[in-house]
Amino acid sequence: MTEFINVGKRIPKSDAQEKVTGKAIYIQDLKIPGMLWGKILYSHHPHARILNIDTSEAEKLPGVKAVLTGYNIPTIKFGFYKDNTPLKSNKVCSYRDEVAAVAAIDPDIAEEAINLIKVEYELLPPVFDPEEAMKEGAPLIHEDHLGGKEKKPTNILNIPWKLVAGDVEEGRKNSDYVAENRFKVTWVTHCCMGTSGCIAQFDPRDNLTIYSNTQIPSLAQRDFTEALSAMGLQGKKVRLIKATIGGAFGSKLDTYPYEYIAILLAHRTRKPVKIIFSREEEFFATSPRQAAIIDIAQGCKKDGTLTFRDVRMVLDNGAYTSWGATTPSVMMMPISSLYKVPHVRYVAKCVYTNNTYSQAFRGYGNPQATFAIESQIDSLAEMAGIDPLDFRLRNANTPGEVTPQRFKVGTCGLRECIDAVAQRLDWRQNRGKRDGRGVGMASLIHVGGGARVYKSDGCGTIIKVDDFGTVNVITGATDMGQGADTVIAQIVAEELGVRIQDVVVTHTDTDICPWDVGAHASRTTFVAGNSAKMAAKKVKEQLLEVASRSLGEVPENLEIRDRMVFSKIDPEKKSPLGKVLRAAHYTTGGKMVMAEYFYDPPNENLDKEFKGNLSVTYAYGTHGVEVEVDKTTGQVNILKYIAAHDVGRAVNPMLLEGQVYGGAAMGIGYALMEQLVLNNGKVINPDFRDYKILTASDIPTIEAITIETDDPFGPFGAKGIGEPGLVPTAPAIANAIYDAIGVRIKDLPITPEKILAALKGKDSK
Amino acid sequence: MKQTVQFKLNGESIQIEVEPHLSLLQVIREKLELTGTKEGCGMGECGACTVLVDGKAINSCLFPILEVEGKSVTTIEGLIEADGTLHPLQRSFVENGAVQCGFCTPGMVLSAKALLDQHPKPTEKQIRLAISGNLCRCTGYIQIIRAIQAASEQ
Amino acid sequence: MKKFDYLKPQSLEEVLSLLNQFGTKAKLIGGGTDAIVMQRQNKISPDLFISLRGIPGLDHIEGNGLLKIGAMVTHRAIEQSPLIRERFPLLSEASGLLGSVQIRNVATLGGNLCTASPSAETAPPLLVYEAEVHLISQKGERRIPLESFFLGPGETALEQKEVLKEILLQPPPPNSRGAYLKLGRRKAMDLAVVNVAVLLTLNPKTGICERARIALGAVAPTPIRVREAENIIEGNQLNDELIRKAGEMAKHTCSPISDIRASSEYRREMVGVLVEKAIRQSLT
Repeated sequence: MTEFINVGKRIPKSDAQEKVTGKAIYIQDLKIPGMLWGKILYSHHPHARILNIDTSEAEKLPGVKAVLTGYNIPTIKFGFYKDNTPLKSNKVCSYRDEVAAVAAIDPDIAEEAINLIKVEYELLPPVFDPEEAMKEGAPLIHEDHLGGKEKKPTNILNIPWKLVAGDVEEGRKNSDYVAENRFKVTWVTHCCMGTSGCIAQFDPRDNLTIYSNTQIPSLAQRDFTEALSAMGLQGKKVRLIKATIGGAFGSKLDTYPYEYIAILLAHRTRKPVKIIFSREEEFFATSPRQAAIIDIAQGCKKDGTLTFRDVRMVLDNGAYTSWGATTPSVMMMPISSLYKVPHVRYVAKCVYTNNTYSQAFRGYGNPQATFAIESQIDSLAEMAGIDPLDFRLRNANTPGEVTPQRFKVGTCGLRECIDAVAQRLDWRQNRGKRDGRGVGMASLIHVGGGARVYKSDGCGTIIKVDDFGTVNVITGATDMGQGADTVIAQIVAEELGVRIQDVVVTHTDTDICPWDVGAHASRTTFVAGNSAKMAAKKVKEQLLEVASRSLGEVPENLEIRDRMVFSKIDPEKKSPLGKVLRAAHYTTGGKMVMAEYFYDPPNENLDKEFKGNLSVTYAYGTHGVEVEVDKTTGQVNILKYIAAHDVGRAVNPMLLEGQVYGGAAMGIGYALMEQLVLNNGKVINPDFRDYKILTASDIPTIEAITIETDDPFGPFGAKGIGEPGLVPTAPAIANAIYDAIGVRIKDLPITPEKILAALKGKDSK
Repeated sequence: MKQTVQFKLNGESIQIEVEPHLSLLQVIREKLELTGTKEGCGMGECGACTVLVDGKAINSCLFPILEVEGKSVTTIEGLIEADGTLHPLQRSFVENGAVQCGFCTPGMVLSAKALLDQHPKPTEKQIRLAISGNLCRCTGYIQIIRAIQAASEQ
Repeated sequence: MKKFDYLKPQSLEEVLSLLNQFGTKAKLIGGGTDAIVMQRQNKISPDLFISLRGIPGLDHIEGNGLLKIGAMVTHRAIEQSPLIRERFPLLSEASGLLGSVQIRNVATLGGNLCTASPSAETAPPLLVYEAEVHLISQKGERRIPLESFFLGPGETALEQKEVLKEILLQPPPPNSRGAYLKLGRRKAMDLAVVNVAVLLTLNPKTGICERARIALGAVAPTPIRVREAENIIEGNQLNDELIRKAGEMAKHTCSPISDIRASSEYRREMVGVLVEKAIRQSLT
């Protein structure tokens, strides 16, 4: 592959210096003169009718500037299903339901005021099990929600997730072996180290500025604009300014009630209002990854060739609907397209319950689906008497393939990933001993070239170059720590022939930055990267055009490198970039060097059958793990962890490895210890003491292997890598545990208790 | 009832009137406006608020402000040299990709500093233990451990 | 956030008189890593915290025979004390496993005991070392075995106007060896699901276990000694059968609850496993 000057280099993250010195400003750190503090009162019950809210004592408290309830605010509906409101009136459907809110001159007074609000409830029967909630006669979460053919009240959402390709019954008939299992996955949450928060502020003309840590600035701007309309402020403007984001991982992919509450409080008080979540709120009032029950069957021929895959899921939607309900659209991807499988069926139901509602979380359904698929692949391989490594190689995706969901596989390094993992684990040597040590692997497919889930999958970039050769890149992309700022700078520097230090990336203000659909689907390097590259190409053309006049050389013969424009055929003809630019500006009829580009990848929306080429290219990877299981305590110790990924090209290997390490660490947590525990709808571990994420002592040494397939569509060959790092982790670990001790845990997390119980069950058989 | 507390903050003596229920974290963030020290949980479980008191890493969110009387406090703002030069640990964090969202970073750097001040050549295990009280959700710690190793080798 | 006053008396006498003066409105605070958290969670709401940090003579580790550890000695100091590492290694080990470095730099031994969590990290080692606690009030001073100090979760024998001054450790008989095992979900920063300390005194000639001390944490309302299990091995030459029996006995003697960290069944099971393991480790 071609060597580049900036691309492919381990360049430190652009804002790392601000961050190591404590100078980066997060939403927590931001203050506006005159600012008030907002606090929220949440429901005390999982399901109850609100009979009365008495706010009189709170209103009397000195320092309180506004008290809002669902009864004194305009109706604002939001969320994917428009079933959520900022403050609930009539009834509450979960413990996280917002019942009242206060703005006060300091957080302590706001807190005190919240405690003075008295709410009378009439308890309603709750339902927490989605399978129970589906039954006739179950308590209805939203009485006015109608579904089914008869349009009867139901808890089942009207989102008919169904993908059928080929004929699974035919596939089943032609199978020599069929595995059927039920898997369960539970709620896990993002645990961003910086909790959620925002500041809302209105100008005298009722235009809103909101300081936020969203990962979807343009879509949030649209949501808030709709909210303004609902407040009677049609035509008013929304400006969204991002503070430094203290982690996102999908948690900030939707707008939340607290943001609307801050807006309402700011409008009511005519003052800026800040709401910052406590850690406890962050645990119970943000939306986790969805819990699901997965029934899966897969079959194969004697030689291991996959014949069909049939998956049914029930997803616990919780009481309201955010992106969690749309994760089946991504689950379809591994179900239809991980390995070659001719006949596929997937049906999923999302069901209202009185639990917390779910959101996007790194992987967007893929980790859940892949856990079931890849765990079962090992079972199927065992039934067929085939080494799971050979089984995977036999069915691995290959370039040029069109999958049952009509994904067009372009570059595909899956085989190389599997091989790399097998080699590093010394697979043939170490597998199948059942001596308490074992190896396991699992693979993944993910969108690597954007994902057209909206009408547009685009991202805009504006580039301008100033008198001194500084290149301002104004992008729609969002950096939330993953390094979008740096990767975009590298791509522009490479394309333009300037130094990385010359490039300044701005991505924080919707008044300035162009539109982008958001930091999701591992799309930023690919989509924003392509957008920046194309814009840089246009800027370069302009620069060469300007330079050609002063240098007396046709643009085709000019090149830019290291801040210098020079002729490729006459080295005498050269000029510093700054000089060229000043010449452009200080000339009669002068010209400003600036360009924009809106890149919308040539991918397809899924059609009514949920088929189509969702992404321009797909990312693949395989994780391999060696574990040691203590049969007396059930504890799992990871001895070796290999993560091989087809990344197209690593624009910045250091940041890329950071994505892989971080993803794998989350994946290990998902596999072994993380769980948001809900007891009758209430989160009972809203703290880091009992919601356990890995510490530095727990993380195994992870070896990241980069397979570069140089994707023709990617910017300099790159594919997305944001999410893949955690997708295959849980099944790889589950498979290794099975290899070590012969028990298979089919519900996450794989706790020592579950292992021990399974071992006992096995012994008693 | 406010009380006066005197201590050294990043080498400078300061005297400030405080309410006794405040934590060291609240005072340095809210009153002194040094926002480099972060609050991640307020319960001593995440380490984002780590500062050094007399050279020892502590969770400033749990540290009663009146207990800093006469002590020397170092926050992340105190690591950088007067001319703007980064501390070797800070430089190493930057160069080794140990920073993503950055929210845990100030606390992480200070825990590492406390370690290296006591053990200039720590083992990997010592490094891991020293930062086990600093949760990070972005990096999986690998590059942080590497950064501390690299800084200790200089 | 609820407000409180914070007093920093300079002597124990002053502490005792403040306790007398403010009664239940006041609460003693050591390092504060438990007290402040409980205050934030509204589990306690004192008007006043009385700090023990400025009191001279509460942060010592000293003594040639009888070892005295001041109540305000931090876990970090215990973990790093060569004296304790050499003479009471189980305590040293347990102290090093409590919380994080940041917590250990502040959290005190006295605080850990007074919080009286059933899973208190240092309790099982102190119980097998038969530690005593020295308590002081205006009425006078008393020394009681640590075992009778713990009354229930969060409850101790400490009277309302009484202060824990120091922890006293008699050196174990010669030829004593032990082990401390902690089972948690993580390798650091974790509360024990079960913690076990074992201390055996073996006759070097006969190999007979002359004295056995076994203590458990997180499996009863308080940290406990399990004499029933100790009795099984005391006076005997240890073999697999006896070790297994001791584990079984410990398992049946404890009374664990189910909570978010583990089920009672698992905890009980693990008591057997860890006691056996700790006995074996003590023998090697």
